[in-house]
Amino acid sequence: MADIRFAAMLASLRALLVPFAVALILAGIVLIVIGENPLAIFGLLAEESFGSARRIASTLSSATPLLFTAVATAICFRAGVFNVGVEGAFLVGGLAAVFVAFALPAGLGITLIPLALVAAMAAGAIWLWFPGWLLARFEVDEVVSTLMLNFIAAAITGYLVNGPLLSASAGNNMTPAIHDAAHLPRLMPPSTLHAGFLIGIAVMVLYGLWCRYTPAGVEGGLVGLNRRFARAMGISVSGTMITVMCLSGAIAGLGGASHGLGQLFRFSDAFSPGYGFTGMAVALLGRNHPVGMIVGAVLFGALASAGTTIQLFSSVPLDLVDIIQGLVMIFAVMELALPRLRRRRHA
Amino acid sequence: MLEQILAASIVLTTPILLAAMGGLVNRQSGIVNIGLEAKILAGALVAVIVSSATGSWLLASLAALAVGAVIGWLFALTITRGNANMIVAGLGLNVLVAGAIGFILSWQYGTSGTLRLPDVALLPHVLPAAVAEIPVLGRMLAALDPLTVLAWASVAALPFVLADTRFGLRLRATGNAPQVARALGLDARRIQEATTAIAGGFSGLAGAHLALTSIGLFNEGLSGGRGFIALAAFYFGRDRPWPTAMVCLMFGFLDATQIRLQTAGLPPKLIGMIPYAMVLAALILASVRNKKRKAA
Amino acid sequence: MTHKNDHAGVVLGADRLSKAYGPVQANRDISLALGAGEIHAIVGENGAGKSTLMRMLQGMERPDSGSVILDGAPVSLSGPAEAMARGIGMVHQEFMLAPDLTLLQNLILGSEPMTAGPLRRIDWAAAEADGKRLAAKIGVEVDWHVPAGSAPVHIQQFTEIIRLLRRGARILILDEPTAVLAPPQVEELFALLRLLRADGASMLFISHKIPEVTALADRVTVIRRGEVVFAAAIADTSGEEIAGHIVGTEAPPPPVPLAARAGRTGPVLALDRLCTGKHQHVRALRDISLTLHAGEIVGLAGVAGNGQSELAEVLAGLRTAETGRIALNGADLTLADTAARRAAGLGYISADRRYEGLCLPATIALNTMAGSQRRPPVARGPFLRPAALLQGARARLDHLKVRYGRLGDPVSSLSGGNQQKLVFAREIATDPAVLVVSQPTRGVDLNGIATIHRLLGDYRAAGGAVLLMSEELDEIMALSDRILVMADGAIVGELPRGASMQEIGRMMVMGADHG
Repeated sequence: MADIRFAAMLASLRALLVPFAVALILAGIVLIVIGENPLAIFGLLAEESFGSARRIASTLSSATPLLFTAVATAICFRAGVFNVGVEGAFLVGGLAAVFVAFALPAGLGITLIPLALVAAMAAGAIWLWFPGWLLARFEVDEVVSTLMLNFIAAAITGYLVNGPLLSASAGNNMTPAIHDAAHLPRLMPPSTLHAGFLIGIAVMVLYGLWCRYTPAGVEGGLVGLNRRFARAMGISVSGTMITVMCLSGAIAGLGGASHGLGQLFRFSDAFSPGYGFTGMAVALLGRNHPVGMIVGAVLFGALASAGTTIQLFSSVPLDLVDIIQGLVMIFAVMELALPRLRRRRHA
Repeated sequence: MLEQILAASIVLTTPILLAAMGGLVNRQSGIVNIGLEAKILAGALVAVIVSSATGSWLLASLAALAVGAVIGWLFALTITRGNANMIVAGLGLNVLVAGAIGFILSWQYGTSGTLRLPDVALLPHVLPAAVAEIPVLGRMLAALDPLTVLAWASVAALPFVLADTRFGLRLRATGNAPQVARALGLDARRIQEATTAIAGGFSGLAGAHLALTSIGLFNEGLSGGRGFIALAAFYFGRDRPWPTAMVCLMFGFLDATQIRLQTAGLPPKLIGMIPYAMVLAALILASVRNKKRKAA
Repeated sequence: MTHKNDHAGVVLGADRLSKAYGPVQANRDISLALGAGEIHAIVGENGAGKSTLMRMLQGMERPDSGSVILDGAPVSLSGPAEAMARGIGMVHQEFMLAPDLTLLQNLILGSEPMTAGPLRRIDWAAAEADGKRLAAKIGVEVDWHVPAGSAPVHIQQFTEIIRLLRRGARILILDEPTAVLAPPQVEELFALLRLLRADGASMLFISHKIPEVTALADRVTVIRRGEVVFAAAIADTSGEEIAGHIVGTEAPPPPVPLAARAGRTGPVLALDRLCTGKHQHVRALRDISLTLHAGEIVGLAGVAGNGQSELAEVLAGLRTAETGRIALNGADLTLADTAARRAAGLGYISADRRYEGLCLPATIALNTMAGSQRRPPVARGPFLRPAALLQGARARLDHLKVRYGRLGDPVSSLSGGNQQKLVFAREIATDPAVLVVSQPTRGVDLNGIATIHRLLGDYRAAGGAVLLMSEELDEIMALSDRILVMADGAIVGELPRGASMQEIGRMMVMGADHG
């Protein structure tokens, strides 16, 4: 069995690298068009992302939210549930954590952290439980419901931070800062890399174990591969759907908490620049596999952290990073058979 | 005041309506187009550039249409030929196009976020200014521009196109049962590519309308989620042209009254949520009804 | 060395066609000649090679050798589109109608009549006139304005046929057209086909129902294991002779010896007046009552589509009954879900092995152990132990001597027979009191069939109760202690072991008549 697993790993490595390589080649062509040397730019990118301990820390810091959003996406995709609502759960969870961490008395000290994490997980889980329940109970298309819930999450959190939760002192669009005691510890000061990264890696590992070493995880995989079979084997398909949606929400919420308590220390309108969607790209690239997703998250983290510096040292606009990300998302799904994707309405 | 609101509603409805009509045709052929937003944005940028360069709103609109259609067609290829999942590809397209636009802005124009160009020709008014004197409807009529007229003309034409033309029948068959369409010798993929190009072209026009109505400049936030609001409209209107248009009109009205509602104490963020909440509600209602019918 | 004159008068035919898929010889030297204005039946059991032949006749598959004859000359067709253009139309078992479009829209889809003038639009009046004319010609009435998806099944079939005629088909290939029809509708279809024949159309009629063949066809060709074993004019042969050739010239398989019973006795499964809800005014199941005893195999005979598969699904908990009661060993399972039924001792062998009985991309180990993932020893507390899963799978498979490569291989790597043995291994591993078995030998080779029949016999001998559904009547006759006959969703009669095929057949038809 060992060689099979090795072959499977090779296959997923290829699945990871091919879309990325194609995207880089296309981006390279763009660079040539604007008169830059793509090799030099990509060299600079690599240098800026991995060239020193400080830079690596910065890359990992950028990768941190993606670890959560990728797992949150993968856990659903693997079960054939096409949840695109991780972004919304990330926002809801982030605000819940930040709220706990500034609204509860500072005297609670370090216990604020677990309280905030639990609040975020609960908020995220409830947020995605709803479309999960709608899917299981009424067959409400989860793609559209979760997409709409993203906008609704953005609107509600946006309303709250502009209204009831608006900071009295900090100006527009943001909550008050959280108590110092609720800050997640920094791992490599002065870099912003914080303990959330370790939580993210732990979530990744737990996800891998869950898939293999729990009945629910194995059932999730079977439901994703063949719903009819799963049902005939007595596996509750609707129960599995709701479970993975709740887990997805909890993990996304935890990601929001990590971002709020470790990176921003408050919640603002611009809390997430689309971490949920980048996480989806990471999950697709990594084919829902923990190792693949860690590599994918770090690659995207590198692009994000080095992109800023690239803009300083060359004439290449930061937007190159978005171009690469968009291309990766598209190429990652081309010729790639996700379980039960499309269009079961006609099936 | 009513006159003003009417006029503003009509103008604000147009981009949503254009994108929604394109997306509706697309969805009837079986493709849910999440990438309308990207094509609106691209259309807006191109419209501003071409309008400034040529001084012609017509050429600018045509260029926006063409760019939207080409992007739509390329997008369709990833789905029909590359078997890409249409949702992820659509989300990817939005990221890609936003990135590409930002890239072009800073590389070519050395700016970020907003592009101001000289001599941008705006959309003209169709009717002479004198119609504004007509009671109630006057200001609305005076505000009519060619793209608004085109948008409503397409609403009027689409039921006919979908029901009574060869292309319409075939695209509906493709959306309803692609394997049947193929078995009868229809090229389902080319039909879907054509409708995606149409959706792209209409979205490009929507972008042109946004950019050339009153401001005459391009901004990265110009589309403001209208691609998704259009999606909401045809989901809510169940892909039927007139009901979808009515939903668009309602969204346009909401947009026009937003400032007033705000002063009345309703927070703008929550008003912006309404289209999405409506889709969710419509989706739930439709599914519950479906489920009941199946059970019966 | 084929001379052109050999094929004079052949409208559509095959000249020594052969086709192999890997090691499997699907067709070998098949020759066939369909004359003008003739209905030619192609009969054979499932898997005999009929569909491969049809695919070659339509140009969907290229023969390894031999040629397709059209209008007296060899042709090489590029596919169904060219076949259609040259007058060959196929009526598939699965109708090619877009459900949301009306029948009229489906009728003209792909070849729409257009109005003249500058604003060219679809000429609906001409379309409807076309439809009405053709419907009148074959003596049927169609409401053209209902959505195809909500039209009755036989009307959908008529629409398909009319559509082919409208597109100029003069040769029709009908793939088991009666499989989905109720008996009165079959009569209506036959009347229509006879009218078409009188009008000069030629038809290949694929079936494995002998009475239909003798009632309708002019000629018959029997295919068995990929070869033509018999061909004759209907006037020169009999139903018995055809039947003999379908199952083989050797004697029909003897009944499987049923060993003396051991273990449990007494009633185990009781169904009391089970009904399903109405779907398109038809109940799939009507008042099904039966009792299954330990140590017996009860066969459910009936034409496909008379409620057998629905009953299997209701018993497995995959479909809900509207009224009635299911009791297993006295416990009421009517409202229990699939998991509870399995736990209570009900095993299920699905007719759809590839998509319901198995999860093809998943591993052999997981397929063998599915359903047991929450029970010890595979589960311990909240965790699943992969080692125990592998061990359990190995034990189950070894028990039935299933041959496999590695437990980590996908189950799709196994042959059909071994896949089915794996399913058996999984379903009997928990020692269920009842096995609901549907089409157990579909797509299984001869050796595999023998093994599976032996396994069913062993299970019965150990005190298990089996409800057996099969489209192969001889399978039911060979294995069952008693036979229940189903028609129109109801059980219409019971026959003892040893009943003749004629008796069973008569009951199937009789039941259908008063239903």
